[in-house]
Amino acid sequence: MKKLLIWLSIVATLGLMVWGYYQAIYVAPTEATMGDVQRIFYYHVPNAMLSFLFFAISFVASVLFLAWRKGQPALAQAADAWALAAAEVGVVFCTVVLITGPLWGKPVWGIWWTWDARLTTTLVLWLIYVSYLLLRKFAAGPQMQTLAAVLAVFGALDVPIVYMANRWWRTQHPAPVFGGGDDSGIKDPQMLAAFGWNVLAWACWGLLLLGIRVYVERRQQRINTASARAALAAD
Amino acid sequence: MLKSSHDFLVAAFCATWAIQLGYVAWLAVKWYGMRAKSGR
Repeated sequence: MKKLLIWLSIVATLGLMVWGYYQAIYVAPTEATMGDVQRIFYYHVPNAMLSFLFFAISFVASVLFLAWRKGQPALAQAADAWALAAAEVGVVFCTVVLITGPLWGKPVWGIWWTWDARLTTTLVLWLIYVSYLLLRKFAAGPQMQTLAAVLAVFGALDVPIVYMANRWWRTQHPAPVFGGGDDSGIKDPQMLAAFGWNVLAWACWGLLLLGIRVYVERRQQRINTASARAALAAD
Repeated sequence: MLKSSHDFLVAAFCATWAIQLGYVAWLAVKWYGMRAKSGR
């Protein structure tokens, strides 16, 4: 039954991805001034929204790890697996944002990159979480998880700064599509529907990846615990 | 190399899926490596 549900969710997610693609490419009308390149928006913005969500999950899980690490070690290990998995999936989504953004910027602005507030804070966010993953990969010892959790907590502070960057400082990046005042929002209903379908599809895809990654990490933790116990027993 | 608006769109969609599927492939390699190590 559990396997059937997993396969059903995989099939439903893939179906939604195909439907989202169809909506973005064939249903949404071509934007009058930018042309076809505006369709990058249907991948770029949902990936950005999802990266924020995953960094927020990593933040909450890291706080829980720090709270539970002494009193409830089993729960702390579960929280640590969620923190790592969410940070990793968040970096994947943030990488997509940093690649698709310049691919939109070059034909529209005439430049690949500029040190605009939104772009710079997003790059800093990506660098913080890449350093988090490098710390997890290369540091050893009992304090590694605690140091990583502290870094994830401080890294997450950049998320609201990235979100507010194009509200606080009006530089190169376009104004916010949602929550940016009376003029914000998508006016065309077909564009809005294509955007909504892509947000849903990318959310399902991201949560599926997160679930798989947490499962893999929990299994890795069990293997590590078993091998540590075997080593102690051998002594 | 990239000239028209359409070229940039294709490049962005290809890059997105290359990154996402690359991650899925990395997860699969990690998963099978772990299974092989644990002997199952």
